[in-house]
Amino acid sequence: GPGILTQTLLNAGIRVVALESNLAYLPNLQSLENSLDGQLKVIYGDFCRLDPLVTGTLKPPAVCSEKLFETMGVAAVPWRADVPLRIFGIMPHTLERNRLWRLLFGLYECNSIYRYGRVELNLFISEKEYMVLRAKPGEAWAYQALTVLAQIGYEIELLHKEPWSSFATDLKNGSLAIPKCKWLPNDHLCLVRLTPQQNLFTGGLKPTNATTFIFMVKQCLAKPTSRLSARLNSWSLDNGGKLLKALEIPENAAMRDLYPEDYRRLFEALQNSSMFTETWFYDEVLETVRTINL
Amino acid sequence: YNIVMRCWARKGCLQHIDELFSVLESVGLRPSLDSYAAALQCTGRNQSSPEAIWRYLEQLKSDGFHVDELFQKCLFEEDEKEKILRAIRTVLPNYQLPPPPKPQTCKSTLLQDFYSKEKVVSYPKLDFSVEELQERFQQQLEMELNNTITIESVEAAKPPTPQAVKARELLGTLRSQWHDAVLQALQKSKHSMAKARALSKYNMLYPYLCLLPDEEYVGIMLQVLNTLSPQGESLAVLARELSNKVYSRYITHRKLRSHQLEKLQGVYEDYIHLLAKDSQPDQYLPREYWEKLVAEAGFGSSLTLKDCSWPYAVLMRLGMHMLELLVKAVTVPRNLLNPRLESKSIPVLYHVYSYQNMWQVGLIKPHPIFSQIVTDAAETTLTFHSSAMPMLCPPVPWTSPHFGAFVVNDTKLMRFVDGDIQHQLLLEQCPPVNLHPVLDALTQLGNCAWKINQPVLDIIISIFNDKGNEQLDIPPPLSEAPKPPTAPGHSSTWSKSLKRELLLCKKKAAEMHSLRMDALYKLSIANYVRDKVFWFPHNMDFRGRTYPCPPYFNHLGNDVTRAILLFAEGRPLGPRGLDWLKIHLINLTGLKKKNALQERLEYANEIMEEILDSADHPITGRKWWMNTDEPWQALACCMEIAKASRSPDPAAYISHFPVHQDGSCNGLQHYAALGRDLIGALSVNLMPCSVPQDVYSAVAQQVEEFRKKDAERGVKIAQGLQGFISRKVVTCLCASLPWVLALSSASFAVPLPDPSLCLWSVQEYLWEASHYLVRQVFNSIKEMFSATRDIQHWLTESAKLISQSGRTVEWVTPLGLPIVQPYYRFKSTVVRCHWGGAAATVLGHPEKAQSSPEEKPDTVKQKNAFPPNFIHSLDSTHMMLTALHCFRQGLTFVSVHDCYWTHALTVDIMNQICRQQFVALHSEKILQDLSEFMLEKYCSPNTETIAAWQKKLMEQLSNVPRTGEFNLKQVMDSTYFFS
Repeated sequence: GPGILTQTLLNAGIRVVALESNLAYLPNLQSLENSLDGQLKVIYGDFCRLDPLVTGTLKPPAVCSEKLFETMGVAAVPWRADVPLRIFGIMPHTLERNRLWRLLFGLYECNSIYRYGRVELNLFISEKEYMVLRAKPGEAWAYQALTVLAQIGYEIELLHKEPWSSFATDLKNGSLAIPKCKWLPNDHLCLVRLTPQQNLFTGGLKPTNATTFIFMVKQCLAKPTSRLSARLNSWSLDNGGKLLKALEIPENAAMRDLYPEDYRRLFEALQNSSMFTETWFYDEVLETVRTINL
Repeated sequence: YNIVMRCWARKGCLQHIDELFSVLESVGLRPSLDSYAAALQCTGRNQSSPEAIWRYLEQLKSDGFHVDELFQKCLFEEDEKEKILRAIRTVLPNYQLPPPPKPQTCKSTLLQDFYSKEKVVSYPKLDFSVEELQERFQQQLEMELNNTITIESVEAAKPPTPQAVKARELLGTLRSQWHDAVLQALQKSKHSMAKARALSKYNMLYPYLCLLPDEEYVGIMLQVLNTLSPQGESLAVLARELSNKVYSRYITHRKLRSHQLEKLQGVYEDYIHLLAKDSQPDQYLPREYWEKLVAEAGFGSSLTLKDCSWPYAVLMRLGMHMLELLVKAVTVPRNLLNPRLESKSIPVLYHVYSYQNMWQVGLIKPHPIFSQIVTDAAETTLTFHSSAMPMLCPPVPWTSPHFGAFVVNDTKLMRFVDGDIQHQLLLEQCPPVNLHPVLDALTQLGNCAWKINQPVLDIIISIFNDKGNEQLDIPPPLSEAPKPPTAPGHSSTWSKSLKRELLLCKKKAAEMHSLRMDALYKLSIANYVRDKVFWFPHNMDFRGRTYPCPPYFNHLGNDVTRAILLFAEGRPLGPRGLDWLKIHLINLTGLKKKNALQERLEYANEIMEEILDSADHPITGRKWWMNTDEPWQALACCMEIAKASRSPDPAAYISHFPVHQDGSCNGLQHYAALGRDLIGALSVNLMPCSVPQDVYSAVAQQVEEFRKKDAERGVKIAQGLQGFISRKVVTCLCASLPWVLALSSASFAVPLPDPSLCLWSVQEYLWEASHYLVRQVFNSIKEMFSATRDIQHWLTESAKLISQSGRTVEWVTPLGLPIVQPYYRFKSTVVRCHWGGAAATVLGHPEKAQSSPEEKPDTVKQKNAFPPNFIHSLDSTHMMLTALHCFRQGLTFVSVHDCYWTHALTVDIMNQICRQQFVALHSEKILQDLSEFMLEKYCSPNTETIAAWQKKLMEQLSNVPRTGEFNLKQVMDSTYFFS
């Protein structure tokens, strides 16, 4: 766009690497780059097409994170170390949910940008997606699998909320092309900071088994109103009742009422009971993950 | 209301019927003929007072009905008709039944001479005696009454391994346990439903669970376990399958109870006389003769049941309930395969969600333990529904949209998606006489008797039971699947590339499994009927394209299935027959496509030695047949040629072999004929030519010309594509263009040109290059088929405007078949269940789309599908006309859409009829008629003022495209029109 975000960051005296996906905007940015004496670096690329799933040679503006980090000169740091890089951006409305899912998969598997450590995201996203990310247990419509995974994976901070009315539009009727949302408010654009949790991989959760965790949460929250005990039964678990008792989860708890941390504890308990390796569960994970991420 | 009244009538409770009549009045409904039929039936049954009967008769008259209509329009079961007559005669002792309606004759100009009674023609007879056919009918009836049939699979030839024997025993024990468990669960759930006082969504299923003996429900549920693939099946699909089985079983029971089957049996046994070789009647069409017999049969149950289809939501709910019982009741000990584990019962089926393109789909999957036992057992029996098997006797002739084909199994004249009743309504409203041509054509296609080509089947089975052969399209067994990678540790700890490899192996194995099963079904059914003569009853899709009803094994199948089918009837080859066999063989090879028939024949004679070698030593010889387009049909043809040429007098050799004649680009042929397009007609062989014309070569030539011009102008892509444009590339691209896809009846094809054909080693230009090519192909076709393009455009625009006005596109084929495009914006129904929180979201069609205003047609689909659907309705019309006229001339005729089959002896006659009928069809003012029909349908002003959209639509519909100069009569002399 017109570069408001870039300009603001530059004015604050920060070193900026700008990814520009539109060739039309490149020349201006490049001349700015030349005049700024190293404070700005411009790369032709599209953050939304980072590490695409297709195999074969990449065609710009698609970019590969390995090359990108090499160009930026950012090296990988251990997970518990400080944030190595901050990313600012505006999420396109189309496929917003899919892009969030891809980021989550990257986070849990320590792939893509997260191979370099706890990269911090500062994203403008629509209010309805923010409502999902920050939802509390029991909230109908908002509390979803995405919520659980995001809250375990990230520290989520709302930095700013801007009403849609502040934005110019090119539509004839003067309104904005904002997707309507039936159940959740969607009147603002929200600047949200997503910092990966330092303690994400302490305990039983590891990048190698994280896809099983994602699968488990998705299966659980496919029907948020159903009971956890029913779900455990349908997975042919033998001592579901005992397990719940040990975790101090009531027998009649609905999926929607469990805290994100409960899901994590449930996963760790199941992991210890080696239930995943013994049943069909793991094959299922493999197949599902293929369709999403491989 | 009528259903309830009828039940009371059967019990003779007039008081309740009186009450129901007053309820009807109080809710503002008027009694229908069926209501009066119920009331009178009741009075006849309980011998009511004449006053009560008079009262109803008076009311019937005052509602505008006539007593005679009761007997003309109502459908009866058991002795209902007699009881009504008794009631009426109590008060009107001299009342006589109305005479049966006079048979009407179709008035279509295209079929004037077909239906004319002036020239008495005798139709071909089957090579069976009355007695033989009756025996076969009994076999068929028995099979259908059993509902399913279990046959040996072709794999049964191999002796079972000790491991298999053990696994089969285990499976047997488990099955009997499951049977008891499911039966108990069913009875328990029925009991709890019966106890409930208030009606709920849950216990509303109760009546549907009482229709059959409990054992039959259990049998239907346990069948799921036998057919469920290890990959699982969608919840909604399984639920529908279960409830449809219950429904069809219920219909069978009802037919038995109402004595409908007895009557049908009587009529069929008389009907057989028309077809058998040793009997008299012959100047009737099958349908006419059937109708005559039914009229003569008089009292008793009607042959069609009253429509009693169940609502979609009920079907789903019932199916879900049965699935739920199954998932809960069927368990297996966890330590069955691994004794180290502690014993504990776990469910055999589990329910998970799968995510496909962000859609959440509920799946039922079998537990790996169960899949393992099934694999180990390698059971060699297969169970099919009786409608999946070919019929063992000639099908019941089609006499109405609900009646025909199988003896017991309900078959619809027109196939449609569950819950979509538009077509059904349209067919019911259509005067029966208008449907006669379509009914007769379908009956005739179904009356073709078939048998198995045993030598070819034996070779195929031996390869199938060995290791299969992918080149010859015989799917290899799973033992030939690629071995998954092995690495230390559990697969969860493997690297990504290793996991990927594992997944690819699994995917390949799953694909191989489904291909193998498909072939196993086909071959096993073929093997089951190997010594029998059999029939494929036909029905059609909503455009009138015809299909055999049995889904797995039929002549529409692939090369392998087609190669094992022969006409049961034999005919001498005659003077030209052997030549036709040879030409047919060369056609099957795919060689010599550009050569004249005479050259193909000469080529066949040249390679006679190869042909005989293939026939004599198919597996051990030089295997010439294996390198052809359709190897198995080619082999079968080689064998037939060998036998014929070695017989003392080839012209007298009795051949059962079907010879095919293919329309060349049949869709484009119809367009070119509609538009009388000169260049178009030439390129799709509507004009006589010494050698066959090839539309793709012509397009390729045009594209190359465009490319040269572009290359000279310095277009980089055009320069890069030098030497690349060939017929093959254009064929690929044509098939991928929606516009052309609409024209050619080609199925899905490669969306991009094969990279190996491309000049560039770098693939990054592939996308742009194919884009460029698609554009040029498009332009070329526009240039060549100008009138075609106008027609296409006119059809699309008309459909768009109609759909935008909120109506669906409808038309009537020249044979009088009404057609409606069934594309609506979907509405989803959620069916909730009490188990594991399962719910299935089902994309369902509206129950009654026309009556509810919120159901809107899907404009994009309506518009884009109209041109191809319209053309398909024409090609099916052409096929049916050819079929009927071939029948009149005593030919055996079947079709695979635009590919017509007959005996070698009669190819010349069929070719002539096919051309005559094409000319006759396109001599009708097809587009003019369509325009008039649509103007009448969509633009009749119902108000004084005409809305703007209506005016626009009227203009569009009246503006029929102009046509070119092509003289249609020339088709008569075109050798390569169908060849």
